[in-house]
Amino acid sequence: MKLFNYDLVKNKKKTFVFSSFFIILSLIGIIFSTFFTSYKTPINLGIDFKGGYELRIERTCEGKCADFSPDKILEELRRNSSQQNLVNNVQLKFLDKNDLLIRSKSFLNPQESEKLIVDIEEIIGRLDYDNLVTREIGPKLGPKLLKDCAISLFVSLLAISLYINFRFDRKYAFFALLALFHDLFIVFGIFSWLGIILSLEVNSLFAVSLLTIAGYSVNDTVVIFDRIRENLRTTKDDFNETIQLSVNESLRRTAFTSITTLIPLLTLLLFGSYSLFWFSVSLSLGIIIGSYSSILLAPTFLLKK
Amino acid sequence: MKKRQGWLFFIIFLLTLSIYLLINYPLKFGLDFEGGSSLTLQLVKENGNVTNEELEAVQFVLDKRVNNLGVSESNLQTLGRDQLILELPGVNVQKTKEAERILGKTALLEFRIQKVGTNAELKKLQLQRSSINNLIDQFNKNRGEKSEFIALNNYLINIQNELEFSPESEVLYQKLIETKKFINNQIAKLFMKTDLTGKDLIDAGRRQEQTNNNWEVTLNFNDDGAKKFALITKSIAGTDQFLSIILDGESISEASVGSQFSVNGITGGLATISGSFNAQEARDLEVQLKGGSLPLPIKIIERNNISPLLGQKNIIKSLYAALGGLIFVGIFMIFNYRILGLVSVLSLILYGFFNLAFYSLIPVTLTLPGISGLILSIGMAVDANILIFERIREELRNGNTLIRSIDSGFQRANSSIIDGHITTFISCFVLFLLGTNFVKGFAVTLGLGVGISLFTSLNCSKTILRFLTTYQSLRQKNLYLSGRNFSN
Repeated sequence: MKLFNYDLVKNKKKTFVFSSFFIILSLIGIIFSTFFTSYKTPINLGIDFKGGYELRIERTCEGKCADFSPDKILEELRRNSSQQNLVNNVQLKFLDKNDLLIRSKSFLNPQESEKLIVDIEEIIGRLDYDNLVTREIGPKLGPKLLKDCAISLFVSLLAISLYINFRFDRKYAFFALLALFHDLFIVFGIFSWLGIILSLEVNSLFAVSLLTIAGYSVNDTVVIFDRIRENLRTTKDDFNETIQLSVNESLRRTAFTSITTLIPLLTLLLFGSYSLFWFSVSLSLGIIIGSYSSILLAPTFLLKK
Repeated sequence: MKKRQGWLFFIIFLLTLSIYLLINYPLKFGLDFEGGSSLTLQLVKENGNVTNEELEAVQFVLDKRVNNLGVSESNLQTLGRDQLILELPGVNVQKTKEAERILGKTALLEFRIQKVGTNAELKKLQLQRSSINNLIDQFNKNRGEKSEFIALNNYLINIQNELEFSPESEVLYQKLIETKKFINNQIAKLFMKTDLTGKDLIDAGRRQEQTNNNWEVTLNFNDDGAKKFALITKSIAGTDQFLSIILDGESISEASVGSQFSVNGITGGLATISGSFNAQEARDLEVQLKGGSLPLPIKIIERNNISPLLGQKNIIKSLYAALGGLIFVGIFMIFNYRILGLVSVLSLILYGFFNLAFYSLIPVTLTLPGISGLILSIGMAVDANILIFERIREELRNGNTLIRSIDSGFQRANSSIIDGHITTFISCFVLFLLGTNFVKGFAVTLGLGVGISLFTSLNCSKTILRFLTTYQSLRQKNLYLSGRNFSN
């Protein structure tokens, strides 16, 4: 495999522009999400963080299943249901042709949820009660979870910062952290956009993925910085050239590590259960972006003018 | 030579131990895979924080109630200072609803005597209660006729106006229930407290009434309670004062005591509550009374339910994903690193077994996030190998001998590997401390994986590699480098 020779110095501007482009794109997404959507938060939060009720259930139709649009179903629900107030807060979505996702912003008690399911069943046909997943979070618990997740992220980033400061001197540590924030910000931004475009809601697994990406991205960057530091100690070559050399030497390892971590994630994405799908997507994106920031961005930061 | 062989045997020993553990202590699967429900219960205390004693007392009572549910392997644990988590593996939605009903009620039982001069009010309230019960019956018989709803609603509004009560809910069924509860509360207020409560019970039971389909709940008092009961019944025997049984502030049964008891009261310490219970209500009450009343009320703040069928699907899918991941990573490694790749595949297999062995040892309950932590850690385990192998290659290309290169490679990659693992470890540690139960599973498997991978990629890989290099035929350099790469 030919060693990929990407001249860091020559392409310095390109690298910065490329990264800035995505940072700005993410920023736009986050701003749009915070001010111009119905939920008014930087990212579309799911019931884990807002409280509410979610049910996934499958249809068992005899023969072919009739197609229904969620709006039509809601319309009929509003006409016939005795739980008017409730129905106004209900969202419906078809994940698959026969996989129905029912969401309610309010916390339903068992009778209310049962009545709702029965009402829907009368409209779209028999549902498979042996094939369902429900999740309900109380109204106080949701925001508490959000707070806990935010604190976890903050503490974790703090711990990582301290550790890096301990292992490398100030300048290295600063740029490594900068690369890390760059990665997290872009992943967050992507999911902001997904929240706007696909109405994708994030749950506690997303916070977990961010934390994992943080660990990974720093790991990657640290390996390359390690190499740079080692080479700078042993060689008398020009500073920028040494950095270039270190990156070229570490390229294979970083690329391969990313690939070997991505492979299990991709199999999880393709074959694993639905609830882990977006989690795998988030981690995969994080790893790809993390590799980019470790190979191209962080060393570019270090380059002397 | 001896040292090398020592490590090899040690590794084989560990492998055998792992397999032994897996067979004798099978893996525990969480709700994601077994199906079932989990409920998070919050203790409600108006003033001040929940104390440890209160939390334990609530757990004690709920434990008894849960045991009477008849769910095998149900699991009730405290969470934090004022919460409890109940896991009911393998149950369907019906059983979960039953659990909620039984657990949710405080079940504070009191016996009260009617205040003098309240006969007229009592009769009126009892009539209204009958009407509501009728409406509820009618509601249950009709399902969905809108005209029926309107009729029922009108009757209900009449009764509400008489009572000067307006319920909070907008749903008809809830309104009916709320009104009935209000009536029972009002009736309870017509009675005075005595010193006889649920604490004086030894046991409770249920049986079907002979004359109709209704059920009654039987009470068995302790000695103290029996005496109190005798005194109370004696005091109102033959009068027009009723005795009321109050459950959580609602009167569920009122009865008069015949004059034949005016000498000694009702002795024997046995009583029956006939409040026209159906089978389910009688059973619920029996279980609640048997367990004792809750010192503090609880509220359900989180519910999860997965049907067992879906749980099984999750197992299969995760298995495919894990195996697929392992296979493709193995192919990739062998393709790129040849013999070294084979070494990493072997150490990966060891890695897998060691992880699973720890899961059965600790034990770690497997959940979906947990499995994804494991799958992710496969990538990390391989990463360490890659670091080492790249170094080995470099040394080989610089012209060193095979053995030297191997030693050197392992040594120089050490610090990078440990650094990388520590940062991931930090993330896991934070996740474990601050995360919810849900997230803890992920942190545990990833953290464990990171730790074990240090052992397998540093120690085991080295041992296997050393072992392989004792065979002359495997010492050719070109088996370690991929043929095309000799450029700088």
